Amino acid sequence: MLEGFNFRIIWEYMPLYMQCFAATLWLSGLSLFGAVVVGIIACAMRLSQSRILRSIAGVYIETIRSTPLLAQLYFFYFGLPSMGIMLPEWLTGVIALTLNSGAYYAEIIRAGIQAIDFGQIEAGIASGLSYIQRMRFIILPQALGNTIRPMLGQAIILVKDSSLLSLISIMELTRAGQVLTSERFTPAEGFLTTAAFYLIIYYMLKAFSGWSEKRLIFREAH
Amino acid sequence: MISYKNVNKWYGELHVLNSINLEVEKGEVIVVCGPSGSGKSTLIRCINRLEPIQEGELVVDGMAVHDKKTNMTKIRAEIGFVFQSFNLYPHMTALENTTIAPLKVRGFNKAEAEKLGREMLTRVGLADRIDHYPAQLSGGQQQRVAIARGLTMKPKIMLFDEPTSALDPEMIHEVLDVMRDLAKEGMTMMAVTHEMGFAREVASRVVFMDEGKIIEIAPPNDFFTNPQTDRGKYFLQSILTH
Ligand SMILES: Nc1ncnc2c1ncn2[C@@H]1O[C@H](COP(=O)(O)OP(=O)(O)OP(=O)(O)O)[C@@H](O)[C@H]1O
Ligand SMILES: [Mg+2]
Repeated sequence: MLEGFNFRIIWEYMPLYMQCFAATLWLSGLSLFGAVVVGIIACAMRLSQSRILRSIAGVYIETIRSTPLLAQLYFFYFGLPSMGIMLPEWLTGVIALTLNSGAYYAEIIRAGIQAIDFGQIEAGIASGLSYIQRMRFIILPQALGNTIRPMLGQAIILVKDSSLLSLISIMELTRAGQVLTSERFTPAEGFLTTAAFYLIIYYMLKAFSGWSEKRLIFREAH
Repeated sequence: MISYKNVNKWYGELHVLNSINLEVEKGEVIVVCGPSGSGKSTLIRCINRLEPIQEGELVVDGMAVHDKKTNMTKIRAEIGFVFQSFNLYPHMTALENTTIAPLKVRGFNKAEAEKLGREMLTRVGLADRIDHYPAQLSGGQQQRVAIARGLTMKPKIMLFDEPTSALDPEMIHEVLDVMRDLAKEGMTMMAVTHEMGFAREVASRVVFMDEGKIIEIAPPNDFFTNPQTDRGKYFLQSILTH
């Protein structure tokens, strides 16, 4: 089966793949960071006292979760320019991925927060800690610890979703496979190599989560 | 130090605090008792506005807790609160549990806060458990960390809501010993508890509540030997036969 498999072509295109691998890494990394920040903010809004903040966050989360990422991406890519907002493609892609995963992170973090016993929050209130301080020192460290696994799951989804950025002609791993396929008519080589690189990222994320989980579990000493 | 003037509170239809009048002087130890659901927890949770009151005046160390405009942070920093279920922060060591609020609320520097935290943990007999996490401590030890956490704020008042009810019998005395020492050192305290030995020994007065009202206020010996009301007698019988 592998007889017709052309390793030489893969080798030849390796510089392109490495460049696109790096692009997928930083595009996903940036979006991941943005998504966690957006997730924390949206979650804080959703759990806040203010009805207005709660509904804004609710609408955001519901909208994102009930519409396809591709539609959201096209909205930013075609929609924003038609409204006079011009952004570079990579930024459009990062914004779409950030806002998309941010909604999921908001829900993941909320589940982690709601698993925390309310008594601890009362203890924080009783000792005079402000809402922000309770979030920062009591709730988030535990919520992030409780939710390493689902957070990692969402990070993996985000990396895979970043392949959609190939559709708005950003050079990243999937796009590299498309280039090789269209220039040399070798889809098997092209997309298998692409897949192999995604696998590398997957194992990197998994190793990171295993490491951080061990540290957090040690800290909680359960 | 704590002054309730005609304080009222409702949960919907339920009148949980019914015209409460009570003056607690500096250095007094008040034990609050009464049947389940009588409003004991609510009575002390109002003091640092864990529960807001709806009517009346509640003044704590000269500050008006009933006034919505009063900034509670300052009052809360002066009051240690010990819960039935300990409510320690599980991701922090015993020492970190005690120092977080002094650092963030009182504005102590790290060295000061840690020195004070160690001192208080030593005082409650946990000098050798400073770096343990709550999950590595017994219930009695956790509750003593919780008391040390309150004390590290250098509070003027300590409040206790059934601090020993969640503990196994053999651990109750270690927590009561700490509370007894505090009382003898002149701390102003209000404690919801049915530990009658503790009340007899250190309480200045016992407050007996039922259905949101204060039914009796008396020195412990008077209340335990000669309750003035039928409800008081009935309550004492029910806890003695328990
Ligand atoms: N958040 C709340 N919402 C509605 N009702 C409440 C709330 N908190 C307490 N109650 C009710 O108010 C009454 C007094 O409650 P409280 O906790 O002060 O009683 P307690 O004397 O401390 O009882 P226990 O000995 O069981 O702890 C109870 O009937 C309780 O069910
Ligand atoms: Mg109670």
